[in-house]
Amino acid sequence: MATPASHIRNFCIIAHVDHGKSTLADRFLQVTGAVEERKLKEQTLDTMDIERERGITIKSVAVRMNYTAQNGERYVLNLIDTPGHVDFSYEVSRSLAACEGALLLVDAAQGVEAQTLANAYKAIEQNLEIIPVINKIDLPNSDIDSVRRQIEDVVGLDASEAILASGKEGTGAIEALEAVIRKVPPPSGNRETPLRALIFDAKYDAYRGVIIYIRVKEGRIVRGSKVMMMSNGLKYEVAELGTFRPEITPSDSLEAGEVGYLICNIKTLQSTKIGDTVTDANRPAAEALHGYKEPQSVVFCGLYPAVANDFQELRDALERLQLNDASFTFQADTSDALGFGFRLGFLGLLHMEIIQERLEREFNLTLVTTVPNVAYQITKKDGSQFTIENASKMPPPGDIEVIEEPYIEAEIICPTEYLSGVIDLCKKKRGIHVRVDYLDAKRCIAIYQMPLAEIVLDFYDKLKTLSRGYGSLEYHLIGFRPGDLVKLDILLNTEPVDALSSIVHRDRAEWMGRQLASKLRTLIPRQQFEVAIQAAIGSRILVRETVKAVRKNVTAKCYGGDITRKRKLLEKQKEGKRRMKQVGSVEVPQEAFMALLRVGEDADK
Amino acid sequence: MTGIYIHVPFCRTICPYCDFVKRPIKGAAPDAFIHALTREIEAYDGDLDAETIFFGGGTPSLIAPESLATILDVLHRKFRIASDVELTLEANPDDITQDLLDHWKALGVNRVSLGVQSFDDEVLRYLGRRHDADGARRACGLVAASFLNWNMDLMFGPHPVSAYPATLAECASFAPPHVSSYGLTYEAGTPFGKRSHEAIDEDSYLRLYALTAESLRGLDRYEVSNYARSGFECRHNLRYWHNDTYAGFGPAAYSFLDGIRARNHVKLEKYLADPGGKCEALNLTRREIQIETVIQYLRLREGLSTIEYEKRFDSSLRSDFGDVLRALVSRGLLEETVEGFRPTAAGFELNNEIGLALVDAPVR
Repeated sequence: MATPASHIRNFCIIAHVDHGKSTLADRFLQVTGAVEERKLKEQTLDTMDIERERGITIKSVAVRMNYTAQNGERYVLNLIDTPGHVDFSYEVSRSLAACEGALLLVDAAQGVEAQTLANAYKAIEQNLEIIPVINKIDLPNSDIDSVRRQIEDVVGLDASEAILASGKEGTGAIEALEAVIRKVPPPSGNRETPLRALIFDAKYDAYRGVIIYIRVKEGRIVRGSKVMMMSNGLKYEVAELGTFRPEITPSDSLEAGEVGYLICNIKTLQSTKIGDTVTDANRPAAEALHGYKEPQSVVFCGLYPAVANDFQELRDALERLQLNDASFTFQADTSDALGFGFRLGFLGLLHMEIIQERLEREFNLTLVTTVPNVAYQITKKDGSQFTIENASKMPPPGDIEVIEEPYIEAEIICPTEYLSGVIDLCKKKRGIHVRVDYLDAKRCIAIYQMPLAEIVLDFYDKLKTLSRGYGSLEYHLIGFRPGDLVKLDILLNTEPVDALSSIVHRDRAEWMGRQLASKLRTLIPRQQFEVAIQAAIGSRILVRETVKAVRKNVTAKCYGGDITRKRKLLEKQKEGKRRMKQVGSVEVPQEAFMALLRVGEDADK
Repeated sequence: MTGIYIHVPFCRTICPYCDFVKRPIKGAAPDAFIHALTREIEAYDGDLDAETIFFGGGTPSLIAPESLATILDVLHRKFRIASDVELTLEANPDDITQDLLDHWKALGVNRVSLGVQSFDDEVLRYLGRRHDADGARRACGLVAASFLNWNMDLMFGPHPVSAYPATLAECASFAPPHVSSYGLTYEAGTPFGKRSHEAIDEDSYLRLYALTAESLRGLDRYEVSNYARSGFECRHNLRYWHNDTYAGFGPAAYSFLDGIRARNHVKLEKYLADPGGKCEALNLTRREIQIETVIQYLRLREGLSTIEYEKRFDSSLRSDFGDVLRALVSRGLLEETVEGFRPTAAGFELNNEIGLALVDAPVR
């Protein structure tokens, strides 16, 4: 029997990364008995190994809980767990659209951080009922009063009734659920009008095909009925539908207000559009629901198999991974240095790292990755305009009228004592000061406009280091702006290596060239002949470094027991060599293609 | 036919660069060890024809003559020892007396390997050796007078580096028929491992390496670190470089029999409780043995002949490793001869590069 809408609550938890979202979600599963005690592992909703290991949430996950409230009534609570990292904020917006309320989780020791603010604003925009929860109150350095004030002053929410919780100790979980029932409005929406359901996520299952996550806004959807995707008119029969508990559990129908899944024999994720509206094929709704913007790739890198023979395998792996995660893009690309490979687009740097790691881990591939870069808009002197996602595709400088690069506006929250460091860093990264606001006596928020290119390299790491981990960052794109940019080339034994080219600001090009060449000198191992490393802009050589030839490599003693030991040692060394890429006659280790990321590491110390 | 290796894991003092298995003792090698060793030899059930016996260490010169007699007696009862057996014993210069040498000769020892390392007191102190230069001279004089076949162990690289040419000159004055001269390695796991910054640079290393070959007139560099007058190459060690079989006795000793490379318990107590018990045993594949064999042979001036390889593996060297070997020829590390392949001068200095190329040679 369907639960009346008055007894359904759809809510999510929003928080800055590390503020304890997944642990609190575990507590909810526990107190509602959604997951048996013995099956409850840490971060139950983070199903990917990589999520558990890194302690982050990448994919949104939904779960349905049955809960008997203190008023004695039984409720259905749909919790949608959301990612906290800035790269995945598009996932957050999608989840918010499926809810009526949100728990805003703030770490009692850390206070309001950049993503707290960004996610709270998103929830406010969506008109959600927001319930502040101050979490980790068991920490010795928690400061509840100060965090309460920050929520009121900075986020602008009434925090007088904020729930005090400790996900670790389990306190506050029931209070939070009671507050959800009391404060979050039940879903509205007529169950008799034509079906309109929002697709807020989708995932690929090897056995069942695409599983679509929906929030039914109006009407109802029954098993065996025919549905239509409103964006393209494609019709499917509903093979199965149901709810998340947290495993998918079939049922007969989903009614307005409910969150659940749909399986209709769809083979690829590409044919499912997140944000699309599902309607009844026989009684279609007049108008689609308000969807979302499609996420856009902002960071790009080249990905090449370490062994040329693995190209097809890499293609298969990318295709299979994309079935599961449609948020990255890829297209075939060739590099003179690295051979056949792909150009991939990501939502951010963390997203890039995760995709790379999943490829290596889940598909057992050895990959060579090039330094991430942003897209540039080029206007040539002949008036033609195009976008390049790869430095090596840059036309000769003489043909270029203007190069434009993407800019972002960054909000950086940090303790005031680190502000001057943050300002220095932003200046160094070509940041344009917008303003600094004080959150309270101890913390401030600095707003800067900056080229995205400066952020994708190492900005976040540097920010974390200089603020001892207390600085947090949120940014959004604000458009393209012209920049005085040049292409910096690297030559190995006088041959330019396309995969090592980068686009940099003219003022920094020489410094960068020197740094890069000297970094490469430390990364490229000595070989049987000398290796010359040169950095150049056009035909102008900026610097030359030399990797001296190796002249001696011999094991002086090799007797009985040494024989097999030596062979194993050689095998191990060879394993390391296999991870190198033969560029012309030079063996180049994978890390060298990421050298740009590590430039200035030593200079900064 | 096989070779016998006996490991004597005792030293009076511990040299800080040494990575062999050893422990300090005051007197002679203890009876418990001799007993365990004899038990282990008696229980052996492999190839019984032996052409070489090598007492290594540690410090085999710490075995009392009567104990040595016991061990050799057991070996003779167990094995069919070839009449022209090469019987080597490693010795510390400080232990050498005419009396001891006479005992050894009487017991059949026909080759002494003397751990001289240097004729410079400062170098010997740097190495933490218990003998001094005069002790080395005295021992060399005695050994040279008593043994036709003997080896002098030298080392280049320890500080002061400048002492090495004089050491080489003094070495030549004793006219040993065999010299081993090793570049000092700062092995991880030894006290020297933490001092690797003291290692000499590549250019100095190669200069001293070349100087060794030049100074030892009449001796040929027949292996990376070994020099001999024709006919005095160490037959026991050649078994290692030919990747032939050998039976090892004593703690931590390796054996290579029937394609299995096995190691005795390393810890002395474990060995004494279970002589002959193995702490590791690797059953090598035919391919692994082929690879090890080619790598080992290419440490030798003689190199590897196609006939030898074919005889051993009933397969062709050129079809098994031809591509890799030819690539090494084009890199200047090997030369191809009528008989087969052998290392060039660069092939000695960059010998590990040869190994690296061979270790994962694609199977055709």
